[in-house]
Amino acid sequence: MKVIVADDSRVMRNIISNALKPMGFEILHAANGQEVIDILQLSWSQIGLILLDWNMPVMNGLEVLKEMKGNDQYKDIPVLMVSTEAEIGKMDLAFNEGAKGYLAKPFTQDELTKLISSTIKI
Amino acid sequence: MADSIIAVDCSLEVMDTLKEMLGEEATLSGKSFEDIDSLQDYRMILVESADNQDELLQRIKKLRYACYFRNLPIILIKKQGNIDSIEPYLSSGATEVLSLDDPPAAFQQILKGYLSPNREPLKEEKEYLDSFINNTCKVLKTTASVETIFKEVYFANDFRIFGDISGIIGLSGAAEGLLGITFYWPLAKMIIARMMDVDQDRINAELIHDGVAEIINMISGSTKKEFVDKPYHFEISLPSVIVGSGHQIGHAENTPIAVLIFEVNFQYFALQVCLNYMNPQNH
Repeated sequence: MKVIVADDSRVMRNIISNALKPMGFEILHAANGQEVIDILQLSWSQIGLILLDWNMPVMNGLEVLKEMKGNDQYKDIPVLMVSTEAEIGKMDLAFNEGAKGYLAKPFTQDELTKLISSTIKI
Repeated sequence: MADSIIAVDCSLEVMDTLKEMLGEEATLSGKSFEDIDSLQDYRMILVESADNQDELLQRIKKLRYACYFRNLPIILIKKQGNIDSIEPYLSSGATEVLSLDDPPAAFQQILKGYLSPNREPLKEEKEYLDSFINNTCKVLKTTASVETIFKEVYFANDFRIFGDISGIIGLSGAAEGLLGITFYWPLAKMIIARMMDVDQDRINAELIHDGVAEIINMISGSTKKEFVDKPYHFEISLPSVIVGSGHQIGHAENTPIAVLIFEVNFQYFALQVCLNYMNPQNH
């Protein structure tokens, strides 16, 4: 299964990718929200999960959610927000736009695994 | 117990004058720059001015680095006359420049003033500083698997910090201010290599900038969560990174700047917490 890891920080993309490796996913990197949309346009049917940062340049995480919500092809691809912004208000916004879960940085391997397992069938 | 002071490359004349100024309040040890192995036990560093300014500035810089972010005053002493411009010395890490030609009473008062003990955090300051300490340790443990030990806190008068790289985040809302983390390059490189699970030789400057920004982002974000409904709750900006020794960070006037020093594998970094908020207990 292919997973998009979207974060403007290369260090953070690496951290998340390393945490996902034991689960056997093929990881695709995106440095901003527009790159997520570009990947989806090309290969949406192969994407099983998106891990999305909130604050990104060009297009932020919330804007990606809204874009996906309005597109029949990829509105059902599960999205997990991964962000330092873990307050209730922000989480509600993300859930209203279709996010399936929320993971606060920093997170442990265990927390990531549990959230992904409860979100998708591996 | 007398304060321990180190006098670096000081002539006998300067040593005698300093001993007389400091009296029994301090124990003065003279050492050459090359013979110094640790500044751990000293409360102040005195350096006699030399003709070779470049070498003197380099020595001051190295002494400042060897303080490992501790609030150790480095006082440059000129035997005669005054120094035209003190800014290069302050930028290299000196705290003050004095001359033996200065009025003795003023000289003595200034020196003794620098030996005043650092104030302890107030109860309300300790409350939020403890959260920053815990979250700093947690972030590095979780992302880089490093054990971080909190060593000490002091309150700085300015934000001139002598590390190699700082990540800073502006704070606004009920509380305003700034949060900054400062590393020496080798420790920043080691931590980021561990975060990315790669060899250190694969870590370039760009990744260090990126990683330092992420570290301060995570510390501020995870601490912020604990401050909901507290008078010092804040929103955070996007992080910025500053590179260069002796960089100075602007801060709000009349706002305490707490400097927290941490140790990771016998290397050190500092977290600066500058927070201004309306304490309801005071109103």
